[in-house]
Amino acid sequence: MFDHGQPSYADVNKDVLSTMLETGPRYWILLGTTMSIAVICFFMPWLYQLFVGIGAAGMNRNAVWGTYISNFIFWIGLSHSGTLLSAVLHITNSHWRKSIYRSAEAMTLFSLMTAALFIMVHVGRVWFVHWTFPIPNPMGLWPNFRSPLMFDVMAITTYLTASSIFIYMGSVPDFAAVRDASTGLRRRLYTIFSFGWRGTAREWHTLGWAYTFFAVFVIPLAVSVHSIVSWDFALSIVPGLHHTIFAPYFVCGAIYSGTAGIVTVMYCLRKFLGFEKYIGQVHLDNLGKLLIALSLIWSYINILELFSTWYGGTSFELEALKFRLTGFYAPLYWEMITFCAFVPLLIFFKKIRWSWNKMLVVSILINIGMLTERFIIVATSLPRKFLPDAFGFYLPSWVEISITIGSFAIFATLFLIFIKWVPAVSLYEVKETLKPLRRNT
Amino acid sequence: MAIMGTFAFEDDFLAAAENLVSSGFDNISLLSPIPLEEAQEVLGLGKSPVRRFSLAGAMIGGASGIAMCVATALVFILPTGGRAIIAIPPYLVITYEMTILFGVLFTLLGFHFVSGLPAWRDKPYTEAASIDRFVVVVEGTAGEQAAQAEAIIRDAGAEEIKHVEDGG
Amino acid sequence: MVSTFVEKLKAYSKPGYYDEFEYHWTMTIDLDRCTGCEACVVACQAENNLPIVGEKRYARNREIKWIRIERYWEGDYPDVKMGFIPILCQHCDDAPCETVCPVFATYHNRDGLNTQVYNRCIGTRSCAIYCPYEVRYFNWFTYTWDEPLEQQLNPDVSVREKGVMEKCTFCIQRIRIAKDNAKDDDKRRVRDGEVVPACVQSCPTEAMVFGDSNDPEAEVSKKMKNERGYKVLEELNTTPSVVYLKKAHA
Repeated sequence: MFDHGQPSYADVNKDVLSTMLETGPRYWILLGTTMSIAVICFFMPWLYQLFVGIGAAGMNRNAVWGTYISNFIFWIGLSHSGTLLSAVLHITNSHWRKSIYRSAEAMTLFSLMTAALFIMVHVGRVWFVHWTFPIPNPMGLWPNFRSPLMFDVMAITTYLTASSIFIYMGSVPDFAAVRDASTGLRRRLYTIFSFGWRGTAREWHTLGWAYTFFAVFVIPLAVSVHSIVSWDFALSIVPGLHHTIFAPYFVCGAIYSGTAGIVTVMYCLRKFLGFEKYIGQVHLDNLGKLLIALSLIWSYINILELFSTWYGGTSFELEALKFRLTGFYAPLYWEMITFCAFVPLLIFFKKIRWSWNKMLVVSILINIGMLTERFIIVATSLPRKFLPDAFGFYLPSWVEISITIGSFAIFATLFLIFIKWVPAVSLYEVKETLKPLRRNT
Repeated sequence: MAIMGTFAFEDDFLAAAENLVSSGFDNISLLSPIPLEEAQEVLGLGKSPVRRFSLAGAMIGGASGIAMCVATALVFILPTGGRAIIAIPPYLVITYEMTILFGVLFTLLGFHFVSGLPAWRDKPYTEAASIDRFVVVVEGTAGEQAAQAEAIIRDAGAEEIKHVEDGG
Repeated sequence: MVSTFVEKLKAYSKPGYYDEFEYHWTMTIDLDRCTGCEACVVACQAENNLPIVGEKRYARNREIKWIRIERYWEGDYPDVKMGFIPILCQHCDDAPCETVCPVFATYHNRDGLNTQVYNRCIGTRSCAIYCPYEVRYFNWFTYTWDEPLEQQLNPDVSVREKGVMEKCTFCIQRIRIAKDNAKDDDKRRVRDGEVVPACVQSCPTEAMVFGDSNDPEAEVSKKMKNERGYKVLEELNTTPSVVYLKKAHA
C-alpha cells in the first residue's frame, strides 16, 4: 500500500494538513489563472449569449441541442467516479480506496456543479428555469412530472444534495483535525465546520452507521441519475437515440470517464501536493484494472449498438448509422473508438499500468474520447431524423468552444479551492490502513 | 470533575476502558483519532438508531413523491401526448428519486440527533486525540470514585493524566 | 364522494384523456393539386407575425417557416421529376413533443390542437428533438421588423421573444374568433367553412381543406375518406391530424 515505508499517525496529520495550512505563490498564480480563464472563456461568452440569444451558439433547426447538452452529459458522467470509488468500494471494504476517495468525492461534487451550470447556459429563457421546480406559486402551475426532463431535474437535485452531504459528513473528523492544528479565524471556522467533534466512540459509531447509509443510498442514485440523463435521448423517437441500451451505455460510460478522471486528478495531487507517500502503485494498479474492465464493457455495448442497428435494417436507423460512421463527423467517431476502445487495451501491460506518466496520457485520451462520444451522439443523430428534406448539419460556434474550455477552468478553480478548505486525503481512513498502535501486537 | 487519561497505545486504552466499565463507571467517553470497533463494543453500542431515521425518511420520501406527482397533475388537467393524466411509470421514477432524497436528508437529521453534534459547549478534550493519542475521559466523579478511576487509568499505562472541568 | 374520486382517478389513469374532442380540427392536403407555389408559406408568415430571419441566418438553417414545402427529386437529367409536400405541424393526437416539455408549455387542448404556450416556454428545446416532422422552430434571437414592416403585424397574434419555441397553430386566433362569433350567435356550433387558416385561404388551387372532422357533413370529413389518403410517418403512431391525398401519377 505504501511504497516508501509506513508513515506515522503524526506524519499523516503533518503531511496532509500542511498542504492546507501552508500556501505558496505557485498556488495563487494557478488559482488566478484558472479563475481568469473561467471568467473570460465561460462567463463572458455566456453573458453575450444571454443578451443576444441562443443563436450565438451554433445550433439550428435540426440540431436544437448541441455542445451544451453534450458537455452537460460529459460532466455528469465525470461525477460518477467519486460515487463508485467512495460508496461502492466502501460497501465492499476495499482498502486501496482510503487515501483517494476524498478527492474523488470532491470531483463528483464539482462536476455536478459544472453540469448544472451547463443547463443554465443551454436553456433559452434562463430567468424562468425555476419553473421546473415544484415551487408553489400564485399561478397554480406545476411542472410536468411525466417529462424525462423533470426526471433529470429531480435526479440531479437529489444527487447534488446527497453528494454534498456525503462528502461533508465524511470530512467532519478531518475538520476537527484542522481545527486542532490551526489558530485564529481558521480555528473558529473549523470549530463550526466540525460541529465540535471530539472523536468519542459514540460519535464514531453514529458516523459510521450514517456514512454507510449514505453510501447505500448514493449507489442506486448514481445509477439512476445517468440512466435518467440517457433517457432525455432514449425516450425520444429519433432513430439514432431511441435505443434501450442507452441507460446501461451511459452509466458504463460515466463510470469509465469518471475513473479516468480520477487517474488524472490523482496524478496532479501527487505532483503538486506531494502526496506520493499516500497515493502509490497499488492505487494506480487498481484504477488501471478498473479502467480496463470498463473499457471492455464500453466496447461491448458499442458493438451491440452497431450490430443491432445494422441487422435490424430499418431505413431511418441505417441512415443515422451511415452518417455516424462515414459522414462529416466520421473522423471524430473513429477517434472516439481509438481512444476509448483501443488505447486502453495498453493497460493490460504492466509497463503502462505501473507508470504514472503513461497512465496520465491514457486517462486524458480516454476523457477526450468520451467528450467526443457525447458530442457524436448529439451531432450525428439530430441532423438525420425522419424526413430527408429536413436533414441538416451542425457545427459548434466560437461561443460553444469557449464555454467548453471555460468549464474545465471552472472545475479546476473549484478543485483548487477545495484542496485548501478540506483535507484532500482523508486523515482517519489513511490511519486505519497503517499498522495499529499497539504495545503488544 | 473529570479525569482525562491519554494513552499512546490502543490495547492499553481498551484495557483501561474495559476496567472502568466493569468497575461501574457510566459517564465514560473514549476519544480516538480513528474509529475503533472494540471501543464501541466496550461501551455496548450495538445497532445505531440512525437506521430508523433512514427508513422513516425513505418511506416519507416515497409517499410524498407519488403524492406530489398525482396531486400536481390534477390541479390543471393538461393532457400531453395522448398519455394518461396519472401515468404511473414516469411517476415511479420521480418517486424513486424522492425516496433517496428524503432518505439522505433524514439520515443526516438522525446523525445529528443521535450523536449529539453540533456540541458547542466546552467538553473535556485534548488536541492529541485527533493526531495519534487515545484518550479516556471519566466525567462526574468526585473524591474516592475519582481516585479509583485515576488508579485504573494509571495501571493501564496512561502517558498523562489530567483533572479537568466536567463538560457542559 | 369517495366513489366519484375513485372514478375520476380511474378516468385520469386511462391513456387518451379525451374520449371525444369538442371540435377535432383536421386538414387534408391534396398533393395532386399542390403546385409548390409556396403561397401558403407567405400567407402563414404574414398572418402569424413570423420573423424575418434574414439571408445569413437562413443559410445557417435557422429559418422560421411554420409550413414548408419539402422537395424530393427523382431520376437523372433529362428525366428529372420533383415531388413536393407541404409539411406543417401535424397536430398529432399522440404527440411525442408534448410529453417531454418539463413545464407544460405544450399540451393537447380540447379541440384536438397541439398548443404552444409562449409565455410558459423556458426554451429547453426538447420538444423539437422529439418531433419526428421537424416542424418546431426556435427563436434563436429576438427578431425585429424594420420600419414600416411592423405595421403589417397581425394584432391577434403575439410577437415572440428570444428563447421561445413556436410552430403552426392551425391559426388558433381564427378558430377563437369563429368560436366566439358562434357563441354570440345563439350558442351554436361553428359551421364548416367559418374557420379558414391563412394557408388554406391562400392556396390558389384549393389543395388544402380545413374543418372539423367531428362533423360528418364537413368537407374535410369527406375528403379524409378518400382512398388516396395517407398520413406522413403513420408507422410512428403519432396519429396526426393532417391527411395527405397521394398524388395520382399520370
